[in-house]
Amino acid sequence: MPPQKIEIFKSLEDWAENNILTYLKPVEKCWQPHDFLPDPTSDGFYDRVKELRERAKEIPDDYFVVLVGDMITEEALPTYQTMLNTLDGVQDETGASLTPWAIWTRAWTAEENRHGDLLNKYLYLSGRVDMRQIEKTIQYLIGSGMDPRTENNPYLGFIYTSFQERATFISHGNTARLAKEHGDNNLAQICGNIASDEKRHETAYTKIVEKLFEIDPDATVQTFADMMRKKISMPAHLMYDGRDDNLFDNFSAVAQRLGVYTAKDYADILEFLVNKWKVTEINGLSAEGRKAQDYVCGLAPRIRKLEERAQGRAKQAPKVPFSWIFDRQVQL
Amino acid sequence: MASSTGLSLKFSPLSTSFKQNKVRGICNVNSVSLPSRGMRLGSLRLRVSCAAKPETVDKVCSIVRKQLALPKDSPVTGESKFSALGADSLDTVEIVMGLEEEFGISVEEESAQHILTVQDAADLIEKLVEQKSA
Repeated sequence: MPPQKIEIFKSLEDWAENNILTYLKPVEKCWQPHDFLPDPTSDGFYDRVKELRERAKEIPDDYFVVLVGDMITEEALPTYQTMLNTLDGVQDETGASLTPWAIWTRAWTAEENRHGDLLNKYLYLSGRVDMRQIEKTIQYLIGSGMDPRTENNPYLGFIYTSFQERATFISHGNTARLAKEHGDNNLAQICGNIASDEKRHETAYTKIVEKLFEIDPDATVQTFADMMRKKISMPAHLMYDGRDDNLFDNFSAVAQRLGVYTAKDYADILEFLVNKWKVTEINGLSAEGRKAQDYVCGLAPRIRKLEERAQGRAKQAPKVPFSWIFDRQVQL
Repeated sequence: MASSTGLSLKFSPLSTSFKQNKVRGICNVNSVSLPSRGMRLGSLRLRVSCAAKPETVDKVCSIVRKQLALPKDSPVTGESKFSALGADSLDTVEIVMGLEEEFGISVEEESAQHILTVQDAADLIEKLVEQKSA
């Protein structure tokens, strides 16, 4: 990114302090994993664990495949903190830098860290899944990293994170709803609390991009189009468990079938962002900017049409084993 | 942040139109009179796939023009590669969808992968139309 663009983020530091850091929750007010798990120091600990496991028995394998995939994604958090620190102009230069951007990144990471911890402990206690395979998958995934093609560019980076936070908000919201349907209110609360964090993060990231649209609409709309052309790749798309070369695709297929996260959601998120950032209303764009504007504004309906066609032609999918559940099979 | 389960939204692999190696099938020898691609008379090596009728090629060209919003004077011929015309993976899938509607055919993903040029599309269309009426 050219120096004058990097300068923009320096000049936004005060604004970020006053408008973005406010979306962080003070640690003293945050929930902790402890709040939703059996308390080992209490007399009723064994009973609570027994109850948790009994509830988990009523939840089908396909749900667990999706929950595990989500948990693995959350546990790859080091990759995401790294990714944020690749973005020019907003990096945490020392690991303890006091710029608002650096403060945001560390505090955001700290909030997210609770998500993986909570899901990990829940899955461990549930007795429904092969923790060793899951742990292996996490180790592979953190080792692989991810490249969302944000190219050190915070315009791309924050558009990407805006999309992703909304995607996680939607998918954790769906796992919460499904947990409730399966009679597990505690798991529903777990997923629901994670979802509400994600919603707060989505609001923060979209606000950053809203500001970028305000001060540099032409560049921002062009990078929005660029990011969408590249397609929003999922953070865990390189996931591998040592056995299944199509692990991510298989996991995604189950998530799609269960309605946890679907192609329709992808189109809906895009449309939400186009509306949120009022992309249709931007004036005074360059020719390239207008092309980008047209592309982005017209994209969601195209994706929906494509998805309708794909659904219409969908052949019966196979059942495949997942090592996360001891190679039990699940319908894709 | 990013915990979503997720679809990377895989479009049909027409994005492999960047592949250089083309697999050409040998078409029905009977239906070939003189392939438009200049097959040497007497050569037994049928290098070229069936040449589609010019009307078919024209229809494909017009669907491609519409999809890619190409100006009237920009050249689109049988030789034109979709990728060179500026089609991304989404465009190419939509072009195939448009061809399916126009010609009343259904294109399998495996066949769609081999469509790199307008001519490829026209040839495949004629093959499918013929199969349909067979």
